[in-house]
Amino acid sequence: MSLNEIYSDIIIDYSKNPKFRRVLDNSKHRHSKNLSCGDEIDIYIKIEDSIIKDISYEGKGCVISCSSAAMMCETLNGRRYDEALKVIENVLKMSHKEPYDEELIKDIQVFSDISKYPMRVKCFTLSWHTADDILHSEEKT
Amino acid sequence: MSIPTFRSYFPALDSQKLIYLDSAATTLKPKNVIDSQTEYYTKYNANVHRSSYALAQQSTQLYEQAREKVAKFVNAKAKEIVFTKGATESINLLAYSLFTSGVIKKEDNIITTGIEHHANFVPWQQISVYNKSEIRYYLPQKGVFKAEELCMMADSGTKFVTFTAQSNVTGQIINISESIKMLKSINPKIMVHVDISQYVSHEQTDVKGMNADFVSFSGHKMLAPMGIGVLWGREELLERINPFLFGGEMIDYVDVKDSTFNILPYKFEAGTPNVSAAVGLSNAIDFINTTGMKNISEQINKVTEYAVEKMKNIKFLQMYLPGQATHSSIISFNIDGVHPHDAAHIMDEISGIAIRSGHHCAQPLMKLIGAQSVCRLSLYAYNSFEEIDTFIDTLYKVKRWLE
Repeated sequence: MSLNEIYSDIIIDYSKNPKFRRVLDNSKHRHSKNLSCGDEIDIYIKIEDSIIKDISYEGKGCVISCSSAAMMCETLNGRRYDEALKVIENVLKMSHKEPYDEELIKDIQVFSDISKYPMRVKCFTLSWHTADDILHSEEKT
Repeated sequence: MSIPTFRSYFPALDSQKLIYLDSAATTLKPKNVIDSQTEYYTKYNANVHRSSYALAQQSTQLYEQAREKVAKFVNAKAKEIVFTKGATESINLLAYSLFTSGVIKKEDNIITTGIEHHANFVPWQQISVYNKSEIRYYLPQKGVFKAEELCMMADSGTKFVTFTAQSNVTGQIINISESIKMLKSINPKIMVHVDISQYVSHEQTDVKGMNADFVSFSGHKMLAPMGIGVLWGREELLERINPFLFGGEMIDYVDVKDSTFNILPYKFEAGTPNVSAAVGLSNAIDFINTTGMKNISEQINKVTEYAVEKMKNIKFLQMYLPGQATHSSIISFNIDGVHPHDAAHIMDEISGIAIRSGHHCAQPLMKLIGAQSVCRLSLYAYNSFEEIDTFIDTLYKVKRWLE
């Protein structure tokens, strides 16, 4: 194992990137918690005509959780919500070391080694599960 | 026993690249304890207190000898030693039994503190909610416990006070006897429980001398296997309270209308106990006695002091020490701009250092010290000055990596 696997420059850079770190007014919002470390995150998604018009996150967390949240926002922004759900599904598969669609999740593969670190999978998946909840609730409305 | 010799008894330190700084979570186990597990299951495995064949008798003897060993270790009577699966079960047992037996009544108040491990906080909170009785929380400023402040919470309606002997986050060592003396001078009817989980592995414990009414601790934080713990209580108090778990072994006579219960300590030990772990605990106590508790605590204090001095010189560190209060073995800290989870992960990757990160099952205390989560290093007598040097070097490397 090497530190570069999950503490690469690109991952560290995304964790510090402020672009998607903000509160989004008039959006769907969920708050969630990583019980093992106490980290908390808020995800905001604005959907219009089944399309994600804007998405952001807020919260304190480790490099892995913040970087993951920032990359998620970048990847899901502008997508149809059903397409976004597919991306999330495949990202979660990757984190559990199951076969996934590489084409679909593209850049998120910088995290492909996360499955080697079971203690950190929760840090990585926190924002994805939260977004998944929001989009599923949208599906029902 | 010198420290290099002491270290050599811990196989985990030989077999892998490991700087183990997480003894407050669980200590490593010495070879005699590990071997005792194989030996028990190879030579003595039989259920206790039941059958009349020789093997069952030997197993029972080993189990009861372990109880006697523990009793002597903390200066108690053997029948006052209740084996549980850990301090958490000990405290849940006590909370449940004190309330269901009416020893603590609706009109009584009880006190716990904000520096407790969740195991000595949540059971009291929940039983008070259920019982609709008053629970008072002593929330010390910056998480630094002061006996006189705790005493200000107590009055003539206070029936029970529980506090830790050592914080698992700040490392503060509480003056137990003084605190109990002060509490009982306010109201002699107050019963006091002390959670000695962090304390008992490195400080000589005398439950009678400290004048406590109950103490709890876990075996695995004092070199013994996981799955064995102790509740000690004064005989007359244990006699007055109900069993917590019901089933085999704890009964005297069972009828369809009602049952009567076994004598102390068996009325609290329903079901087949963890005999091998009790034997392991007995071996752990032998190991501590052979080394000498004084030598153990001296070594831990020296290395703790060394680490504190070195860490104080690092500008990018935030430390959570208990001010001027007595302190040992545990140092919580944060690296500026670095999340504890990342710090712990990277320290392991770079140097094989095992530290804890998170809220340490002490969320009320985290609020008092103003942190969401912290890194914690915790020491036992197998830790060396050289390991602290590597730890310090690694702190700089973590800081550099994430910059």
